[in-house]
Amino acid sequence: MKLTATAMALALTASAAFAQDKVTVEFAYPYSHLFDVTYEAMMPAFEKAHPDIEIKFRATYESYEDGTNTILRESVSGNLPDVTMQGLNRQQILVDKGIAQSLEPFIEKEADFAKEGYHDAMLSLSTFGDNVHGLPFSVSLPVGYYNMDILAGAGIDKMPTTWDEVIAACETMKASGTKNPIFWGWNITGNWFMQALMWSQDEAIVDNGRVTLDSPEALAALEQMQEIFTKCEMQNLEWKAALASFSAGEIGMMFWSTSALGAVERSQGEFVLKTGPFPGMGETPKGLPAGGNAAMLTSTSDDPKVQEAAWTWLKFITSGEGAAEVAKTTGYMPPNKAANEVILADFYDQNPNKQTAVDQLPLLRDWLAYPGDNGLAITQVIYDGIERIVTGDATDMKELQQEMVEEVADLLPNG
Amino acid sequence: MAVIDTTPPGITNNTQAQECRAAWSLTAPALVLMVAILLLPVMVALVLSFTNYSLGNDGFDWIGTKNYDRLFSRSTYEKMFIATFTYVVTVVPISVGLGLGAALLINSLGRFREIYKTIYFLPVMATLLAMAIAWEFMLHPSIGMINQTLEMGCGTVIEAIWPFMATGCADGFPVWLGDKRYAIWVVCFIGIWQGFGFNMVLYLAGLTGVHRELYHAAEMDGAKSAWERFRLVTWPALGPTTVFVVTISCIRAFQVFDTIEAFWPQGGGPNKSTYVMMFAIFEKGVQQNLIGIGSAITVLFLIFVMFLTLIQRWLVERKVHY
Repeated sequence: MKLTATAMALALTASAAFAQDKVTVEFAYPYSHLFDVTYEAMMPAFEKAHPDIEIKFRATYESYEDGTNTILRESVSGNLPDVTMQGLNRQQILVDKGIAQSLEPFIEKEADFAKEGYHDAMLSLSTFGDNVHGLPFSVSLPVGYYNMDILAGAGIDKMPTTWDEVIAACETMKASGTKNPIFWGWNITGNWFMQALMWSQDEAIVDNGRVTLDSPEALAALEQMQEIFTKCEMQNLEWKAALASFSAGEIGMMFWSTSALGAVERSQGEFVLKTGPFPGMGETPKGLPAGGNAAMLTSTSDDPKVQEAAWTWLKFITSGEGAAEVAKTTGYMPPNKAANEVILADFYDQNPNKQTAVDQLPLLRDWLAYPGDNGLAITQVIYDGIERIVTGDATDMKELQQEMVEEVADLLPNG
Repeated sequence: MAVIDTTPPGITNNTQAQECRAAWSLTAPALVLMVAILLLPVMVALVLSFTNYSLGNDGFDWIGTKNYDRLFSRSTYEKMFIATFTYVVTVVPISVGLGLGAALLINSLGRFREIYKTIYFLPVMATLLAMAIAWEFMLHPSIGMINQTLEMGCGTVIEAIWPFMATGCADGFPVWLGDKRYAIWVVCFIGIWQGFGFNMVLYLAGLTGVHRELYHAAEMDGAKSAWERFRLVTWPALGPTTVFVVTISCIRAFQVFDTIEAFWPQGGGPNKSTYVMMFAIFEKGVQQNLIGIGSAITVLFLIFVMFLTLIQRWLVERKVHY
C-alpha cells in the first residue's frame, strides 16, 4: 500500500515536471467531419519533431460562421485560443478588431520563408494592409460531383460545362426515372455559391466597400439559380442530408466544394464517382471564389515561449508534410508550392478527382468579406433570399433582388 | 397613538429596530442573490434593447425604440410570431389532451401501470437535442426510416384510398425538413411526442387527490355513464392541476429551441417557417452578435411568459378553488 502511494507520488511529481517543460498551444478548427482525419494524420509527425509542444484541441466550430462568432465572443470574455482556423472571408473582421495578430515579426525571423513553399499569390489571401495576418491552410473551389452510373443509365456520356447543359441533363435523368437528379449547394456557408455565380461573370460581390447585389450580374445569378432549382425540381435538402444521399448513390449530380471529396469518398457506395469543372453561365466561368481557411494567431499570452510554439504549430500545418496531409485526407488543395509540387508530385495523377480543383486554380478569386460588423447578418440575408427561391416562395427575381438589397443596406455601416 | 402608547418610547423603538435589523440581515443574502441573478440581467436586457450594441464593440448608440419597430414591421419577425404561435397553439392543447387521456387510461388499469408510465415518460427523460438528431436520421427524405416505411405502402390498397400516398408514390415522399408546408408540423409533432409524458405524470398525481367517495356520491345522484362521472367529478376536481399543466406547457412551448437548432442550425427552417422566438434570440444575440435586437426579442419573450404566469395566478385565486 505504502509502496503504491510512493510510486504514485513519484509519478505525479514526474508528470508535473514533465508538464512544466511542455508548452501548451490551444487550437480550434471548423468542420470536424472534414478535418478530424487531417489533424489525426499530422499529429504523430508533429509530436516527434516538437516533443516540447503540446497541442490542446478545443471543441470544433460547426462552420466558418460559428468559428468567427466564437472567436469574437472569446475575445470579449478573454479566453482566446492561441491559434484558430478561420474561413478566408472571415479574416478581415478579426484583423479590423485587432484580434488576429500580424505575422510579419515571425516571418522576418525566418531565413528561407519563400523556400518553404510560401509564395505571394497564396499569402495574398491573408494579407491585409501589407501585413500577412494568416497562413492559408486549405483552399477549395466549387466543382461538380457526378455519379457516372446514373449519368450512363440516362444515356449521358459527357459532363456538362454550362448550366443549360446541367438542366438538360436533369431532364434526361428525370425522364429515365432518377427521382433526385441534382443537388446544387446553395447553402454552403450561405453565400459562397452566390459569389461563385457572380465571379463566373467576373463581377465582385463587394466592390470598394459597396455590396453589388443591385447589379444586373446579381440578378442574372438569382435567375440562373431559379432556373436550375425549378427546371431540375431540386429538393430542398439540408446539406448533410444531401451529402449522405449523394454518397448513397441517389443523386446524379452534386455541385459542392471540392473540400468534401475526401469525406464523400470515404462513405461512398457502389458507384463510379467523377468530378468535373464547375459549369458556367453560357460560357466557362471567368472566376471562382476561393473557399477554405487560414490559420491565424490570436494568442493573448505574454510568454514568448507560447508565442513561439504557436508560430511553430502554425508553420508546421501550412508547410511540408503537414500541408500535404490536407490534400491526402480531404479534397482541399494545400496552398503551398513545396507541398504541391514536391511531396504531392504523383498524388494528383493517382487521384484524378482531386485534380479538377487544381486545374481550376487560374480562376481563383477572393472570397470576399462583407464590410462592417454585420458580415454574419448579411450572409444570413443572402442565405434566406436563396432559400426562398429553393422553396418556391419567391418567384419574381427582380422583387427578391430589391428586398435583399434593402435588407443588406440596413446592415451596412453607412446604411 | 401617543395616547395609547404609554410605554417609554426608547425601549420599543430599540427592540423594534433590532428586530428590523435582524430581519433585514437575514433576508439580505436572498435579496442580494435575487437582484443580482434574476432582476439585474432582466434590467440589463431591457436597457440594451434600446441600443445597437454589438458584441466586441467598445461603445453603442441609443436608438430608442427602433429595435421594437423592426420587430413589428419586418417580415422576418412576422414569420417568427407566426411560427411561435403556431407551435404553442398546436402543442399545448394536444399534449395536455394526450397527457390527460394517458393518465386516465393508466389510472384505470389494474396491472402494468408502472410499465406504461415508464414508457410514456421515456421521451421526457431523454435529451431533446439527442432525440432531434435521431429524428433527423429518421426523417431523411430517401434513406430515412419514415419515408422508407411509407414506400412499403406503395402498390397496396392504401395507395388507392389515401391521396397523400398516391402522390408520394408517384413523385417521391415529402422532404420533411426542407418543405415549408411540413417543417413546422414536424417540429410540433416532436414537441408533443416529447412533452405529453410529463403532463401525464402531473395528471396522475392530480388523480390521486380525487376522493373515491365523490364517485360513489355522483353515482347515487344518477351519474351512471363513465362520461358523466368524468364531466361531473374528475374534470372539476382536476381543475387546479389543469391550470398548472396548461401554464407549464405554454411556457415550455414558448421555449422550444433544441429541435430547431439541431435540424436547421442556419436560418430557422425552410423560409423561416420554424423561426421560433428562442431561436431568433439565439441567432441574433449569440450567432450574429447583434445584442440590441436580441435583447428586444428577449424582453418581448419575457412579457409573454409573465403574462401567462399572471393569468395562471388569477385563475388559481379566482376560479378553481374547491
